[in-house]
Amino acid sequence: MSVIDSPQLVEREVEAPPGLLRRLIRQRQAKIGVALTAAVVLIALFGPLVLPWGATGYTSTEFAGRPFKPEGLFGTDNLGRDVLTRFLDGGLRLLMFAALATLLGMIIGGLSGMAAAYRGGIVDSAIMRSNDVLLALPQLVFALLAITVLGPQSWVLVTVIAITHAPRIARVTRSATVAVVTEDFIRASEMYAVPKWKILVQDVLPNITGPLMVELGLRMTYSIGALASLSFLGLGMQPPTADWGLMINENRIALAIQPWGVILPVLAIAVLTVGTNLITDSLARASANLNVGESK
Amino acid sequence: MGLSGGGAADSLDAHSPVSTTDIARVLNLYEGLLYRDENYELHPLLATRATASPDARIWTVDLRTDVTFHDGRPMTGRDVAATFRRITDPKDPKTGASSLAILDQVVVLNDFKVEFRLNTPTATFDDSLGQYSLGIVPEDYDPANPIGTGPFIYRSFSPGRSSLFARNEQYWRGGNEPYLDELEILNFNDNDALINALLSTQVDAIGQIPLALLEVIDADPRIGILNSETGMWMPFSMRVDKPPFNDKRVRQAFRLAVDREQMIEQVLSGNGRVGNDLYSPFDPGYASHLPQRVQDISKAKELLAEAGYPNGLSVELVTAPIQAGAVEAAQVFAEQAAAAGIKVNLRRVDTTTFFGDGYLQWDFAQSFWYTRNFLPQVNNSSLPTSPFNETHWDHPEFAQLVAMATASVDPEKRNRLISQAQEIEYDEGGYIIWGHPNQADAYQQYVAGLVPSRTGLALSGFEFRRVWLGKVL
Amino acid sequence: MTHLILRRLATSVLILLAVSLLVFVATLLLPGDPAQAILGQQATPERLAALREQMNLNDPIWQRYLSWLGDLTVGDFGVSAASGGPVIALLGERIGASLVLLVAAASISIPVGLLVGTYSALHRGRTGDHITTGASLVLAALPEFVIGIWLITVFSTTIFPILPSVTMAPPGEAVWNYPSQLVLPALTLVLVVTPYITRMMRATMLEVLDSGYVEMARLKGVPERQVIVRHALPHALSPVAQVIAIQLAWMAGGVVVVEFLFRYPGIGQALVDAVANRDVQVAQALSILIAAVYIVVNLLADMVGILTNPKLRTGGSR
Repeated sequence: MSVIDSPQLVEREVEAPPGLLRRLIRQRQAKIGVALTAAVVLIALFGPLVLPWGATGYTSTEFAGRPFKPEGLFGTDNLGRDVLTRFLDGGLRLLMFAALATLLGMIIGGLSGMAAAYRGGIVDSAIMRSNDVLLALPQLVFALLAITVLGPQSWVLVTVIAITHAPRIARVTRSATVAVVTEDFIRASEMYAVPKWKILVQDVLPNITGPLMVELGLRMTYSIGALASLSFLGLGMQPPTADWGLMINENRIALAIQPWGVILPVLAIAVLTVGTNLITDSLARASANLNVGESK
Repeated sequence: MGLSGGGAADSLDAHSPVSTTDIARVLNLYEGLLYRDENYELHPLLATRATASPDARIWTVDLRTDVTFHDGRPMTGRDVAATFRRITDPKDPKTGASSLAILDQVVVLNDFKVEFRLNTPTATFDDSLGQYSLGIVPEDYDPANPIGTGPFIYRSFSPGRSSLFARNEQYWRGGNEPYLDELEILNFNDNDALINALLSTQVDAIGQIPLALLEVIDADPRIGILNSETGMWMPFSMRVDKPPFNDKRVRQAFRLAVDREQMIEQVLSGNGRVGNDLYSPFDPGYASHLPQRVQDISKAKELLAEAGYPNGLSVELVTAPIQAGAVEAAQVFAEQAAAAGIKVNLRRVDTTTFFGDGYLQWDFAQSFWYTRNFLPQVNNSSLPTSPFNETHWDHPEFAQLVAMATASVDPEKRNRLISQAQEIEYDEGGYIIWGHPNQADAYQQYVAGLVPSRTGLALSGFEFRRVWLGKVL
Repeated sequence: MTHLILRRLATSVLILLAVSLLVFVATLLLPGDPAQAILGQQATPERLAALREQMNLNDPIWQRYLSWLGDLTVGDFGVSAASGGPVIALLGERIGASLVLLVAAASISIPVGLLVGTYSALHRGRTGDHITTGASLVLAALPEFVIGIWLITVFSTTIFPILPSVTMAPPGEAVWNYPSQLVLPALTLVLVVTPYITRMMRATMLEVLDSGYVEMARLKGVPERQVIVRHALPHALSPVAQVIAIQLAWMAGGVVVVEFLFRYPGIGQALVDAVANRDVQVAQALSILIAAVYIVVNLLADMVGILTNPKLRTGGSR
């Protein structure tokens, strides 16, 4: 971040995204991360698709036997449903909702962060102070209150998680934007009376993709964790939905006896979050190297 | 002893037990005049006898003469009268008050004889006296200083967590009862913790284990299982005054959509008896002659078509973890009903919401009741005047049969009337009673004296006076 | 500098006020009637009305907010709907229990994090560094309940069933009298928090090691050990202090899931119960308490930042 006065900045701006990606893929850590994430995403995406073709012989709400029996590959769950079937059917919603929550958070946080940095003055302080207020209320406490008040519908879950992300994203966006808006090429655009939103979208946004991508990865990791935690607390996805977090909640009592109903989803969530975190970390390195240049 | 349930709202008040742990505490600190034993038979406890006048308007109760309270004072008729005054206090009625609406006053005849004067002839008033929330307390009772006549004496209590009681050295039963020096009741908010506590020997016994885990826990040689058949029921409740359930064909169709055997298998892991849409299976008047209802999808579809739903219908079922297996039962029902063209949308709320403002208003919900005989059950749930008329059941013919049964002192005539009333419910009632779950408890093998109990209350109906500890191996 | 600190202090107070308003409104919106919650099923219309009057539930909302706030400032948290007793008595024990857990977790994770981070930085690029960086990256990604469930699976149920997975203590006895029950919940928190401290320590340590004055000290021939302990470490500590503060603040809220998982009788568990029971007063008190801890810890971190920042130091003395 200390290279604002670098002379090649304007050129780099144009090729920032491909450079970022290339650097990203060059790291071994990123490859592992992509592999882990892809494995879980594939399960989540294709699981629901293969089930109607009789891949396991059951649907996710059908009964395969008595509860917590070793029948089938991974046994049955708390209602006697096939654990493998529930597992295959339970990832997509988690992924979808996590992605939606992350995107919504990025939009709210990103826009307010950019607005704060670009407009400055009262708008800046208003946005950043309300951020401080939201930050002072721990994520889970906020989610607990909001979901109890509004009920555990999908849109509530997504919105609540997005709102808890937004202030953090706004902070990052703001500081990245502040560094950019003082640049000469922005001043130049302003002189040509380009509309402000156009400046933000055309000139500012491409220059802050690095930190924003890192933030995206980080928030995705946290969204997955937060959604799964809420389901685990019984506040997230509701029965009879098949969902990894809910599965953990439902089958936890049999952890010592028929552990697959817990271990499969825990494993999937763990692999997924580790994968996204590895990618994020690689992204952070790639974007940091990008800013520093090839000095090392 | 570990028990699930209970929370910060727990109390030691003899007459306001709410949670399972409250009931466990109340039953060991206090005692009523009569009680239901493990076979669900009525026996005198602090009374020696309860007799009705021929018109069943006056009940005379003789008291034991050898009972003292925990502070050493003898228990007398005045305490009994004060207890019932406290329970039925119109300004602050306690849990038992609803079933005592028929009670005009309690007259103290002498130290050990009281008379209950009723405003309505009630041939089964002794049954009402056997409720666990009617423990006799001294005249100057204060829940902050919980004194009763029970086998254990209060030591300490921390709501939602645990309570500690000590042996009542002056206990009237003699014969060394209670055997335990100390009784500690712990609250657990979830089954996971409960079972772990047992397996790691942190507690000696736990009440109400999840039936799904029964076999596995039983496989542990250190652990014993108490599997009790009960008259408890966990019905679905349909409001008979609200569409679509105001059409009795819809109610019949819903009852026919249930695969009861599968319910027992999936929800209770096979540990329960199939229900026949009737409660009070231990009542001497139980209508056992009615044929067992079984799943009949085509008949259900037919009935729905007749009722104007040829393409099926969609309903919302309100469910809450009000009892182990409740949310599970709702899920199984949703799956089964789909076959009959009934689309069930589950709406899970928390227990507080379930019993909050919406309770008794839900169109289609669930409930849970302990073992009760027919007439007391009807008083609680199936008359327009009942405090918990979940199905909004208001059937004049049914009510008349119930009134006649209540007034008949002759048991045979009463049983016949009960049976007739049950037939009406079998045909048109708003409850779907798919089964009677077993009550399963688990204990360390060194715990002795526990017996299966039909009451539905855990661990021998919480009669911890009978328990002793063998050698720890 | 004093001016800066005062401003920061004032901001914190304002934020706390705003949070209190937010909490108050949110808890007001909880479905259900608090008077009904206190009286339960035995409530009669007359008693409900009387209690509503007594609890000032009929007053306008802003008036109720102000009187609630006024009571808060004198330490009166109101009466618990569920237990009927004062909230403060109910919470004392819970706060103590949570503090024990937090202190135990902090006193392990902070030194471990600092040591491992320093080790990692000093062995940059070698196997030890790769292992610790990798491990902290993996751990940092895992949600706390995932870590907790692994610990339970390994140490409590299947592989080495040696530690209790639930917390329970007889009434009147404190949780810390049963240290074995503290192990797993504390360990979970440690595993959640340590990676962040380690990573931050490693990063700042690297930055310091690459800086001019460390180079200078080395060139001057100061022994490497002394370079690290005397010159590098002190400079690396202040940014790390901020991360530690953030982690401590996080723990105040994140403890909810961990306490739920291990049935630990702390504030997190109490909050989940209070929300489920609609015990509005307790939920309010706990939310505001957790938020206050959050704000104060962050404030302290900022103070440390202001006090140790050389630029601001000269700026203040001007």
